[in-house]
Amino acid sequence: MQLTRRFLFRNGAMALAGTTAIPGFLVRTVLAQAAAPKQRLVVVFQRGAADGLNIVVPYREKNYYAMRPSIAIPQNQVLDLDGFFGLHPSLAGFTSLFDAKQMAIVHAVGSPDGTRSHFDAQDYMESGTPGLKSTQDGWLNRALQAEDARLRTTHTPFRAVALGPDVPRTLAGKVPALALNSVNNFAVGGRGPAPSAAASAFEAMYGESGDKVFHAAGEETFDAVKMLRAANPGQYTPRAEANYPGSEFGNRMKQIAQLLKANLGVEAAFTDVSGWDTHQNQGAADGQLSNRLRDFADSIGAFWRDMGDDAENVTLVTMSEFGRTARENGTGGTDHGHANAMFVLGGNVKGGKVYGRWPGLANEQLNEGRDLALTTDYRAVLGEVLARQLGAADMNAVFPGAGLQPGNFLKLM
Amino acid sequence: MNLPRRPVTALVCAALALPSPLSALPGAAPENGKKPRAEYRLPELQGDARILHTLNRFTFGPRPGDVDAVRRMGLENWFEQQLNPAAMDETTLNARLEQYPAMQLGVQELLYRYPSNGMIHQAANGKIAVPQEPVLRAIYQDQMDRVAARKAAKADKDTAQKNATAQMYAPVTARAENAQPAMMGSTGGEANTMAVADAAPVVSDADVNSLLGLTPEARVQQLASLPQPQLDATLKAMRPVQRLALVAGMTAQQRETVLALEGPERLVAEELIAARLTRDIYASAQLQEVMTDFWLNHFNIYLRKNEAMPYALVSYERDVIRPRALGKFEDLLEATAHSPAMLLYLDNATSMGPESLAADRARRAAARRPELGKKLREGLNENYARELMELHTVGVNGGYTQADVTEVARILTGWTVDRAEQAATFEFNDNRHEPGTKTVMGVKYREDGEREGEALLHALASSPKTAQFLSRKLAVRFVSDDPPQALVDRMAQAYMTSGGDIRTVLRTMFHAPEFWATDVYRAKVKTPLEYLVSAMRASNADIESLRPLANALREQGMPLYGCVPPTGYDWRAETWVSTAALVDRMNFALQLAANKLPGVWTEWSGEEDTSTATMLAANTPTPEAEESRLEATLLAGGVSESTRAAVLRQFEQQYTNEAQVRAIAAPGRRAVALTATEKQDQVLAGLLLGSPEFQRR
Repeated sequence: MQLTRRFLFRNGAMALAGTTAIPGFLVRTVLAQAAAPKQRLVVVFQRGAADGLNIVVPYREKNYYAMRPSIAIPQNQVLDLDGFFGLHPSLAGFTSLFDAKQMAIVHAVGSPDGTRSHFDAQDYMESGTPGLKSTQDGWLNRALQAEDARLRTTHTPFRAVALGPDVPRTLAGKVPALALNSVNNFAVGGRGPAPSAAASAFEAMYGESGDKVFHAAGEETFDAVKMLRAANPGQYTPRAEANYPGSEFGNRMKQIAQLLKANLGVEAAFTDVSGWDTHQNQGAADGQLSNRLRDFADSIGAFWRDMGDDAENVTLVTMSEFGRTARENGTGGTDHGHANAMFVLGGNVKGGKVYGRWPGLANEQLNEGRDLALTTDYRAVLGEVLARQLGAADMNAVFPGAGLQPGNFLKLM
Repeated sequence: MNLPRRPVTALVCAALALPSPLSALPGAAPENGKKPRAEYRLPELQGDARILHTLNRFTFGPRPGDVDAVRRMGLENWFEQQLNPAAMDETTLNARLEQYPAMQLGVQELLYRYPSNGMIHQAANGKIAVPQEPVLRAIYQDQMDRVAARKAAKADKDTAQKNATAQMYAPVTARAENAQPAMMGSTGGEANTMAVADAAPVVSDADVNSLLGLTPEARVQQLASLPQPQLDATLKAMRPVQRLALVAGMTAQQRETVLALEGPERLVAEELIAARLTRDIYASAQLQEVMTDFWLNHFNIYLRKNEAMPYALVSYERDVIRPRALGKFEDLLEATAHSPAMLLYLDNATSMGPESLAADRARRAAARRPELGKKLREGLNENYARELMELHTVGVNGGYTQADVTEVARILTGWTVDRAEQAATFEFNDNRHEPGTKTVMGVKYREDGEREGEALLHALASSPKTAQFLSRKLAVRFVSDDPPQALVDRMAQAYMTSGGDIRTVLRTMFHAPEFWATDVYRAKVKTPLEYLVSAMRASNADIESLRPLANALREQGMPLYGCVPPTGYDWRAETWVSTAALVDRMNFALQLAANKLPGVWTEWSGEEDTSTATMLAANTPTPEAEESRLEATLLAGGVSESTRAAVLRQFEQQYTNEAQVRAIAAPGRRAVALTATEKQDQVLAGLLLGSPEFQRR
């Protein structure tokens, strides 16, 4: 096992040995090193239903301005994309990515289920089975399961990781997924070069526990803690051109970049960002939504610059549970709607284009007379990304019942 | 050494191993005298396990001695007392709550004494008068100065940003031309910043010490007399110990004044959270606090929705939720629907009937002055209408459509808040109310002003769908993540026959066989709040500052009043078991036990109790003896052999290492040197509080 020794030596991981009898994680780590995933997927969920019509603005639609007298983005303020759509001015951070054809946009996309409940819509979108409550796992976890059925490779504990206090529904399922609040504080009993005695005690305690739930969680935790200590992602400081906003979201994107750069075997990373439920006073070019969008675009833009050359193997995709009403409501905001816009960013993306059939915004073209109608099932977008990025072939295993046909993909990758 | 180990554990194990004699006999022992049905019954908990189970479910976790106290009193009596807590002795709690006099104030008084930024804005614009009383005046003036300074800083930043953006998007040729003014702009900005920095006064240690040398009252006066930016510079110059010395010896009110001089809104938000945690930890009426927490989550409100919200929440928790937490659900629903906090959080305060008088006036005004047209709004906001049905009453499968949501929104137009920026009082504004008959789920509501909404709330509260929805949610909180439908049905029936009486529903649950089934014993995983508060209670911590707890809650994803969406937090295990959660909980346990949380003190020596174990431990405590004693204190139900073995094995390793470290470390570094036993106890207690067993209730 020449590779093993060299890897351990190089990473200073020998310090870990001796705390438990069989450092099984080391074996797994090393194997994963041999087959480290080249292609990575980053998923960003905008919780609260982002207002797609003010994010990717159909600024040639007359009715858009008629329906949104106080919150529409004026034509002279949108950042034009293709002569019909334009970005909200706070998404200036996206224009260079779009122009460089690394970013594609899909409009009038979303979940075909008609619920207007945040909770149900998020649940459906994350399970990947709109309308079906009994699904146990998330679409991204199933994608990794399908990969396991296809390729017999070993993976690190970092294969699927969420930045945040819990594992989201998207990643729930058979394939173990990590949740990390903070890359720097992910250690037990101090961050010294070797595990603390308390950490070893906890490891043994959970390792021998008959409590199945905590036994499994404990094993995953300590495998990950040790691997993280060995890899020391803190050494990967952001590149000079990556100026992340100081927000929670900016901080999470920064840490995703650290994990990706630290070669920990991350295949799928997830994070979410909230604050999109703009029922009241959402603002137009400035205001509440504008502030959210600036943070959103600047964080993702910084992440992209931070990844540098590695970015070519990364695809990032965004989604939100549903869109918002086409008409502004009585309080300068928008209520729960239907179709929305998604961003797909990546080295393999055929960007610089707004995909999807545009259903129009004339009154009779609206869904239930009030929202942007849906013309693309979000699963077609995710299916294509999974197929191209992670090589997923069995679409029915990942999105059962969706009837996805690769021939019908938008061909945005 | 053979100590009598964990009598409670032994009983529990026996109870779990043997099905109860009653349930073993088919159809035996009917509780209500009715002829029993022949059906399979799960083995039920017996003996002290019943007490522990009850304490784990109806309190924020047992304290040392609680099992004994309940045994003396009788389980049934204890539960009835918890359901009717008015006469309970709250001396300990009340003494601690005296630290937060602001929490006793009405919203108007609170806003006046500790103004929100909205109030500060109005004061700065001369819309309200700044109080004459010197200290209050200082609180206003300091905050006005800070707001003005922030505004100036932001203006500088915006100018710089605009220049930078102009550079970025300008054509190449123009960019060169722009370079000069842009640079001038940014230089100007820097010059301003530097000017501010120059103006920031230097505060020496001698200045701080002379302030700290004053009497408490003189310290308050002195701070109040400092103009900005001296005040902030002085506060900033203090080290943590000096900050503690600053408020030492002060009355609670004086301490509040000092904090308010630093930031009045922050004081209110911090005390709101600190007082709630204090109740969770120290209240004798535990079930009332557990239910207050349940309803605050059910009727979730986010603290940062707007600047008035921290103020509104003081009254929401104190006047709306807690007094009704064990009453009739309809009263609770009514009270939340009338509360400024809810009307503002879910935007109903601004909703307006499209055909109402007010909307008509607004349209005519807009027609007269088209240049203002865009600013005038007249229409529905359906946020509250939807969540009222989906989250508060009938549930998402309650049988309503989008059309019903819009109709509910129409019914509730006019339910608004008088002086919303101060979250003052509920107001029904007839001018904003949508005229005409409305229809919700097939029921017609004839035009009747505020009474339409009352009738709607009554219909929602009396719906069998609501009974099911609430009963299931309560069963998930108190029994198991996936409660048996039979239990939910029984609770829902109790809800319907009692007119939605929360006590009756809880009592029905408490007496249901499903509640006592052995398979639900310790089946619930603690949420972060339950975990942290139960650790405080089990360790009998003396808490001077709740900040470490509030911070830990935020890090673990469950900040109080910090849930942004109206759904509130989930009670089920899958949300809270994760690698991040385990790391956080283990670290918290170690820090708590080793007194590394500032302002939180634990004491493990057991000198205060007189059990045999302690008496023996006082002489030559072995790790086994100490583990046994601490285990009985912290986890009355005991831990598994594997956990115990892991604690001891690793402890011995640690103990050896520590002894070596101590031998070479310079003595006298700590003010209070810990004995070897104390140190050992801290490690043991930390491991037990972080164990898999302590993650469950």
